[in-house]
Amino acid sequence: MTSAATAIAVESRSRYWWLVALLSAMLLAMTAISVAVGYASLDLGAAISDWLAGRATLPALVLVELRLPRALLGALVGFSLGVAGAAMQGLLRNPLAEPGLLGISSAAAFGAVVVFYSGFAGAFLLALPLGGIAGAMLATLLLYALNGRGAGTMALILAGVAINSFAGAMTSLALNLAPNPYAALEIVFWLMGSLADRSLAHVWLVLPLMLLGWGLLLSSATALDGLTLGEDTARSLGFDLGWLRARLIGGAALAVGASVAVTGAIGFVGLVVPHLLRPLVGHRPGRLLLVSGLGGAILTLVADTALRLLPIRPELKLGVVTALIGAPFLFSLISRLRREA
Amino acid sequence: MTIRAALRTAFRGAALLSAFAVMAWPGSAIAAEPPAKPRRIVSLNMCTDELVLRLADPEAIASVTWLSQDPRNANMAEAARRIPANHGLVEQVLAFRPDLAIAGSFTTRNTVGLLKRVGTPLREFGVPRDLAGVKAQIAEMAALLGEPERGQALIEEIDTRLARLAQRIGDARPKALVLRPNGFTVGRGSLVDEILTRAGFVNLAADLGIDNYGQIALETVALGGADILILNTTEGGPPSLAHEILNHPLIGRLGDRLRLVALPSKLWTCAGPAVIDAIELLIDATTPPRDQRSPR
Repeated sequence: MTSAATAIAVESRSRYWWLVALLSAMLLAMTAISVAVGYASLDLGAAISDWLAGRATLPALVLVELRLPRALLGALVGFSLGVAGAAMQGLLRNPLAEPGLLGISSAAAFGAVVVFYSGFAGAFLLALPLGGIAGAMLATLLLYALNGRGAGTMALILAGVAINSFAGAMTSLALNLAPNPYAALEIVFWLMGSLADRSLAHVWLVLPLMLLGWGLLLSSATALDGLTLGEDTARSLGFDLGWLRARLIGGAALAVGASVAVTGAIGFVGLVVPHLLRPLVGHRPGRLLLVSGLGGAILTLVADTALRLLPIRPELKLGVVTALIGAPFLFSLISRLRREA
Repeated sequence: MTIRAALRTAFRGAALLSAFAVMAWPGSAIAAEPPAKPRRIVSLNMCTDELVLRLADPEAIASVTWLSQDPRNANMAEAARRIPANHGLVEQVLAFRPDLAIAGSFTTRNTVGLLKRVGTPLREFGVPRDLAGVKAQIAEMAALLGEPERGQALIEEIDTRLARLAQRIGDARPKALVLRPNGFTVGRGSLVDEILTRAGFVNLAADLGIDNYGQIALETVALGGADILILNTTEGGPPSLAHEILNHPLIGRLGDRLRLVALPSKLWTCAGPAVIDAIELLIDATTPPRDQRSPR
């Protein structure tokens, strides 16, 4: 009996690592495809050999200064959104929890907008992502305070709607007060989310903050599994729930805030990906974290590559594409929840 | 409140509502005629501001827009600062009791509709798409302001400068590309295209098949084979997301292999007399060896 249970556990663990390996391979392939796809015809082979030889030719410059940052940021932001979505769903034990729906992204956008248009972003480099993180942190804390533990779907969504509209209104206010008369016009495009023409500087800016966020989120995997047994059981198993919440909230804020600060709000990734992958990891929220991150990165890169291949110019905004994929998904999810209720 | 007072309020409300209903009716606009030489001119558009400031008597100008008072956006900011500003709102405009209001064809549409309705003499000006249009607009504006001689003088000055600049153009026709905030470029059939041609350049965006305004990816900018990259900047402007693309590290590194020319947006946003300054700046920047400043 015990040996049978152990055998099942071993088998499910090996299946989990196979899944991780498969997703990692897909992510690598998608990153390579994203680098290869672009608007101008670029001789990749020549560009790579020029770059490796240290020759700053035009193809090498385009590869390193444009294609590579775009692919890397796509993967980083996608991973952040995926892992944060899975973590929020685990923490709030609610399938609709997602950074965009819950207003964390728009609060992060508010933080970034304030920092950018007040001129702080020019004053010191990390100000922009830190502004985004502060906004995201505020929203996450507020959500948690409003909902407490084991929140019902209704209360959660209402809190999300409230935070979304409040953050939106505050963003408009900040734009009204901004010294740049065209700020409101610019922000419309930015809020739709895009990876176009970002630079390596952006990657270095957000990478350490995102890594820290991912570390916090991934380190809470076992505790998150324990939480599925209920708070009291988890506590009796020796998990410190206060510390768990702090790690999840801080980690999600770091990852989402830094993402939104450089790419604008890209919705639905954190909603769709955990749902697709949950059955594959045996519905264990701890195991869902890493695979959702990888899946989020793949989805974001697929969307960003697709919009460059589509014959629509100027290119669609990335947030629009993910919404086109994600919104029908959300509708189906809601109708399923209603049937189950 | 007595019943009578309440009734009066209700009547007023109804009257106001019907007034709005009439306003919404397109045929009801009354085109009032301005005097031959208006003395209380209110301009509602940054671009008409510039022409009014150049052509009218300063005492005859009652108000210009607040945008024109910022030297980073506007070419006549110094003159504009001595004149009260408006934000294009009806109440502000009416408070100046204008005998001529001037608006742009694409801005402050509600204000324009209401001003027409209350019978304020009003003229609208579009955006010229070539140099001939710029000159025609100057003549039209000068006539409207009752200053035809000043308009004639300004047009003659433009023609003289253009003729002088035309002599400085060499035979080499460098390929130029304009990069504006948000990654926009300017192609065929636009005033900027004509400016580039007059400066002796070939507009690469037109060859890439871009008509009028269009977005261009930075990698196309890098690999497009341009000799000159014209960066449309606003010096010392407030923080702007749209300008981020002009500060992309790639552009700094392109400076080694092609010439970067910073051109302040205000010289050609308005399709006014300042476009001649833009042509001169472009020729200055490409005629060696003087003035090779690289942008920020």
